[in-house]
Amino acid sequence: MNKRQVEYLFIAAALVVLIASAAINLGYVLGHTQNIPQPSDNKAVPSNSTVIQVLGYQWAWQFTYANNTTSTDTLYVTAGHEYTLQVTSKDVIHDLLIPSLGIQIYAVPDHPNQVSFEPEKTGKYIFECVEYCGEDHYLMRGYMVVSS
Amino acid sequence: MSTETLLIVAGILVSLVFIAAFYVYYLFSTRAEVLSRVAEDEGYSDRDAYVRDSLYGKPRPLSWSILFYDDAKSIGLRYIFTGMLFLFLAGAFGVLMRVSLTDPNPTILTPTIYNILLTQHATLMIYMFAIGMAMGFGYYILPSRLRLKRDNMGHLSSVAYWMWVLGGSLFVLSKSSMRWYLYPPLSLQLTPLGAGSYNWLAIIAMELVFMGMVMASVIILKIIFIDRADDIPLSRMPVFGWAIVFTLIMLVSSAPPLMVGLGMLFYDFFNPIFFVTATSTPLSFAVLFWFWGHPIVYIAVIPFFGLMYDIITRFSETKVYSYFSAVFSLGLLLILSELVWGHHLLNSGLGVDWVIFFTTMSFIVVIPSALTIFNMIATMWSAKKIRLTTPMLFVINAIFDFIIGGVMGVMLADEPINQAVHGTYFVTGHFHFIFVGLTLGISMATFYLLFPTFSNGRVYDERLARWHFYITAVGSFLMSFSWAVGGFLGMPRAVAGYFAMFQPYQDSAILGGVIIGIGQLVFLYNIATSWSKHPVTDPYNILEYRTETNQTLTSESNQMVGGGK
Repeated sequence: MNKRQVEYLFIAAALVVLIASAAINLGYVLGHTQNIPQPSDNKAVPSNSTVIQVLGYQWAWQFTYANNTTSTDTLYVTAGHEYTLQVTSKDVIHDLLIPSLGIQIYAVPDHPNQVSFEPEKTGKYIFECVEYCGEDHYLMRGYMVVSS
Repeated sequence: MSTETLLIVAGILVSLVFIAAFYVYYLFSTRAEVLSRVAEDEGYSDRDAYVRDSLYGKPRPLSWSILFYDDAKSIGLRYIFTGMLFLFLAGAFGVLMRVSLTDPNPTILTPTIYNILLTQHATLMIYMFAIGMAMGFGYYILPSRLRLKRDNMGHLSSVAYWMWVLGGSLFVLSKSSMRWYLYPPLSLQLTPLGAGSYNWLAIIAMELVFMGMVMASVIILKIIFIDRADDIPLSRMPVFGWAIVFTLIMLVSSAPPLMVGLGMLFYDFFNPIFFVTATSTPLSFAVLFWFWGHPIVYIAVIPFFGLMYDIITRFSETKVYSYFSAVFSLGLLLILSELVWGHHLLNSGLGVDWVIFFTTMSFIVVIPSALTIFNMIATMWSAKKIRLTTPMLFVINAIFDFIIGGVMGVMLADEPINQAVHGTYFVTGHFHFIFVGLTLGISMATFYLLFPTFSNGRVYDERLARWHFYITAVGSFLMSFSWAVGGFLGMPRAVAGYFAMFQPYQDSAILGGVIIGIGQLVFLYNIATSWSKHPVTDPYNILEYRTETNQTLTSESNQMVGGGK
């Protein structure tokens, strides 16, 4: 192979990896728009999902459910049911991550974001704040309890 | 802190800065006068011509005089050694942070101190170490590689350097704990529990660092474009020269948004009208920050790509495989770096359209990065023999680490994966693979190559240097890889304590971090003992004074135009 052919091979190899990954990503994003964090002011809540209001503050998470009960640092959900988190913050920017669901959403003061998810398996999973928010940032974590 | 106190302290501080600047200026003007007199005695009418003739044909060893001469080489030495100093400071902070994480609850360090170290480690490593090395090698290597016609604007370079150092030192003193993102509602909290009581000082310090960096960048660009020898056209410039050009254009073009942002942030201390009112959002600062924050991570890498090409061609005794695609891919990185910053904010509520735009752009960055790495591998592939000296080992390790870190970067560009691992140690692992393997590794490789020149003909202990390499490589792999695995399970970064389930990953990362620290101690010991020995060799080094036949990467571009071999 001469030099130019080798270079074409370089570019082709890079392009194949790139296009495959980009296509997979695009397919996911377009097919799961409600699972992408977005401002809750320009997006309607999916019809069959329950809204949970989430408030982040230094340094805890507060969850307010449909029946106006609240819980702090523990999120109670039911398996097989779709939920929409509407997340905002009282003071600084926080970021709620539920690793086992692959859901992450910023809590920005005065600018609520929303994201939908559906837990499938029952159990107790962790969630945490992953945007540094001061002294006790590391304590801003808790458990998500999925009941049947 | 009340507004009045703040104003008084800020006033005193600004006056101190001006006094320091004036003192520096005074030192330089007296020194310049002395130099002019010497130049006149030697029969030169022009001081710069004298400095060039007396300093440029010769290697420039390290001595106290670098603080007083302001020719490009002295400035370069200042940058390199200040960068090294801050590397060890920030590195010590890093090791301390690791050690305090031996237990899921904060043990050795309180969360406050942990957060301060977290902020200092990131900021100093990027702004003082990576930028310092890039500027230093630019100032030090390019003048002799490009055989400068004249060396002027040294005073300005020197002022830029002192502003940069002053900024870095004030940042350390500020004990800021706002993390290097400086996101507003937090960075405006002047309490020990928020961003630290003296965070306003940190913002002034950052502004100083920025002014120094931008001034120095403009001067180096001028050196490259205007002052280089007439017989070195741009199309035949070494790849390192191009790498520096792209880096500095990137720096100059993307620093202003954050400089403006910092100014607005400082104003918000007194009169919060920009980022924390009902009609604005703190995320607008995040946008300003990442418009600069993404290019800065490329700025910390691209100059070292250039050095890698130089070191590989030297020890493989061959040319760069394709000069054209080497320069082209670095240039493409320059353009793309300005278009992908949104991938740091994918989950902040950008909306689906922007998510698609930024993730797709992030995948496109794969092309230039992959081209660069393929090009380096092809260069080594086409060599008849490769000499595995210590610098070459560092380069090979850098390629290895960059591939792993780069693939992790591609994974991060994928929105579903990004949602699951953004903000976890996976990201930390991703950029530590690249920064420890590439930025630190290549800095060390270049430092070893230039060591005989710095030390006026002394040689380092090859065996110890190899130990340094192996220890650093193993430690960095262990640390970054444990982070990558733990991060995939959701281990959050930037925390002083963690869920007990993450203990194994933290423990192995601690081991890796401590191993890296030991490796750097070996380096220090090696340098200290080698410096105390007698000079045994010629202080000329291959990076600065390549002969034309060695610099054959130059004729490459013509071949490309002519259709290959």
